[in-house]
Amino acid sequence: MINCRLHRPSSIQYPVSRIQNMQLFVEQLLNGIATGAIYALVTLGLALVYGIMRILHVAHAAVYTIGAYAGLLFFNLTGNLLLAVLGSMAVCALVGVAIERFVYFPLLKHPPFVPLIASIAILLSVEELCRLIAGPQILTFPAELPFPEFLVAGVKVTSTITAVYCITAAVLGLLWVVTTKTELGRAMRAASQDMAVADAMGINSHLIVSITFVIGSAVAAVAGILVGIYFNQVYPTMGAIPAYKTLALIVVGGLGSVPGAVVAALLLGMAETLLIGYADIPLPRDALAFIAMIGMLMWRSQGLLGSR
Amino acid sequence: MSGYLITLATIIAINAIVACGLNVIVGFAGQISLGHAAFFGIGAYSAALLATKAGWTFWAALPCVIAMTAFVGLLLGIPSLRVREDFLAITTIGINFIVEAVFNNVEFFGGALGMGGIPRVALFDFKLRGTEFFYLCLAFLIIVIAACWWLTRCWAGLACFALREEEAAAASVGISPVRFKLLAFVIGTAMAGLGGALYAHFMRFISASDFAFPLSVSLLSMVVVGGIGTLWGPVLGAVIIGILPEVFRPIIDYRILFYTTLLLLMIRFQPGGLLGENSAARRVLAKMLPRSQS
Amino acid sequence: MTRPLLEMVGLSKHFDGLRAVDDVSFRIEPGEILGLLGPNGAGKTVCFNLISGVYKPTAGQITFDGRRTDGLPPHVIATLGIGRTFQIVKPFAHLSVIENVLAARGISRYPRLSKIWSGWRTVHERREALGLLERVGLAGLAERRAGLLPLGNLRRLEIARALAVGSRLLLLDESFSGLRHEEIAQLEDLIRAIRAGGQTVLLIEHNMRVAMGLCDRLVVLDHGRKLAEGSPAEVRADEAVIEAYLGRKGREHVAGRA
Repeated sequence: MINCRLHRPSSIQYPVSRIQNMQLFVEQLLNGIATGAIYALVTLGLALVYGIMRILHVAHAAVYTIGAYAGLLFFNLTGNLLLAVLGSMAVCALVGVAIERFVYFPLLKHPPFVPLIASIAILLSVEELCRLIAGPQILTFPAELPFPEFLVAGVKVTSTITAVYCITAAVLGLLWVVTTKTELGRAMRAASQDMAVADAMGINSHLIVSITFVIGSAVAAVAGILVGIYFNQVYPTMGAIPAYKTLALIVVGGLGSVPGAVVAALLLGMAETLLIGYADIPLPRDALAFIAMIGMLMWRSQGLLGSR
Repeated sequence: MSGYLITLATIIAINAIVACGLNVIVGFAGQISLGHAAFFGIGAYSAALLATKAGWTFWAALPCVIAMTAFVGLLLGIPSLRVREDFLAITTIGINFIVEAVFNNVEFFGGALGMGGIPRVALFDFKLRGTEFFYLCLAFLIIVIAACWWLTRCWAGLACFALREEEAAAASVGISPVRFKLLAFVIGTAMAGLGGALYAHFMRFISASDFAFPLSVSLLSMVVVGGIGTLWGPVLGAVIIGILPEVFRPIIDYRILFYTTLLLLMIRFQPGGLLGENSAARRVLAKMLPRSQS
Repeated sequence: MTRPLLEMVGLSKHFDGLRAVDDVSFRIEPGEILGLLGPNGAGKTVCFNLISGVYKPTAGQITFDGRRTDGLPPHVIATLGIGRTFQIVKPFAHLSVIENVLAARGISRYPRLSKIWSGWRTVHERREALGLLERVGLAGLAERRAGLLPLGNLRRLEIARALAVGSRLLLLDESFSGLRHEEIAQLEDLIRAIRAGGQTVLLIEHNMRVAMGLCDRLVVLDHGRKLAEGSPAEVRADEAVIEAYLGRKGREHVAGRA
């Protein structure tokens, strides 16, 4: 985590408490952005799936959990973090597509709560499977992230935090390039606007849907591993809170808007860290996401960046 | 009958009452509610407060509890039901989390320690325990089912069905979508409040974690497994979901996995529930029962 | 001159810059059959949606029987006696045919909180609903689940529902689409019978022969604007109309033949 170090330039006299406050604030801010970045990575897959299939893919948190466990397993087997990440991404992509093909696709003609219940059932089943296979205890993920440390305004930024920033930026950047500059991206955007029209234009919508799940699940794997290393914790119910928090996030960001979800995630990460650090609210920090969501629904029901 | 079975039967009966309420919202009016446990909790806490802090009897408090729960349902329903269907699922999940957080953190509700010391229900100075209390719950269940049955036969119910099928067409025949969705929501939450009052006086100690999101999922599973929109579906669902954990007790460690997998298979292959039209259960029964001469 | 039943003045509906309906004005006289024609995308269904309350106009007014109705929600407009069908049929699929009509019969009950608690399975209501089904020729299928009906019958069911509600004005959206010859003739007779009973009908129709033969007057739209209004003969000869449907070459072709 970030360490705080006092740094007092000799030429200027500042009161000690002000420097401490400033550094505390910067530390909290950097933590908040890191938390927000992680939320963004986890929410990304959910937002992509909703955008293209209008399904609330609660089971995405199950994929994320599997990503963390698979990453840990491969890391313990090979000792190589990169291999572990790639292996985990492959596993999660398979799981994601399996969920789409065997559960969601056949249920499309039913009212939306049917795939939603199925999704929740998958999440709960995966939690139980992880508990039975790997045990209920919290496992540690003692991997070294090969990223540099920095000093910002006298606050030390650890390699883990740097890793979170870099990886999130890389993933978002890559996704942006794919969706705006490639044929695939164009097809994805067409299919998420209107699948019937996309079909008529010769786009194989089902393939596009599966690819979306592959991308979203692979990102979930990365997020799971990152969280596992960041907090040094991997446990069966690690997906429970993210499952519902990310739902609130896609509402705040605007249902169907992937950039909106990312922005909402960053804001929530910062809000949670700063507000809970500085204000004295009787409610637990996890409720903040839902309060923000209900507030957003009442103020502006299309969310931050959604369209009417 | 052994005390253990009576306890189980009582819990099933209470769950059935709450599930019937959820069925009105989800099955009759077609609205998703994934936060129904919150209203169960509001009913329970209201009953607990009135019994312990105000000293009211169960009977005196009951109309108040039902009214209060329905009122909160109305307040929370108004913003929730104006939004699109996808939003509604998430909003109700959010309601569940927020209500649970309020019960858990606000001192008036006992905070994390919950509320205890709730007295038993007394009928003419005679405290109801065990089997008698079960009969009381059963009586309320029958009243609730009768209310649901009456709802299906009155214009309000027909309006809800039409709304469920095709909202735009329902509006074109004079059915106000917001008004009737709200009506179903209020009725459903009122029933949950009734269940909550019974629960509080049964357990005699309640805490916020009794009314968390997993219970909402459970309740929805009961409605789904039994048959969404049918009259007896929620009861059947409550029985099955209530008995399952006991049936799987021998494999206690794998119990939850079995249970969630069963739910997954059920919703994947029989979303209409056991009593739904065209369900496998109905077809099997149709083959087994003698055909009527037509 | 009698007051028009429905009057639209300067009606416009814009969607993010697309002018679906642009400054359209026309009126419907009581007891007539008015046809709303135009090529695809002309704005006909948008007009219906504006009248029935599904959309709020961007500009302009709608007056029904002397009362401003633009901006009112669909369920309120239904209570004024305006019934409609939908271009893509929307039956209450899991209810039976007669239950579909009974749901529409509830129009007098739904607005009042006190009236919605009485039963709908009464002999009286059933008789009324069956009467409506008889008028559209569906009485024999009363107990059939609506979702199982073929398109032709579904269109008739839509009309039966609209009849229950539209005591003053009926809006029929492409009700002849997808029907076979005999069904078209039957439906024409039905609409004439409806008019004979005193109800006013506004219909959107693609089938020119039907529209010309059935309607007392026509309004033609194109790209959201009104091209022509008048009797079938007047509209048929209108140059702008011909150009819209057949293109400029078509107009010259017709002019050359005349």
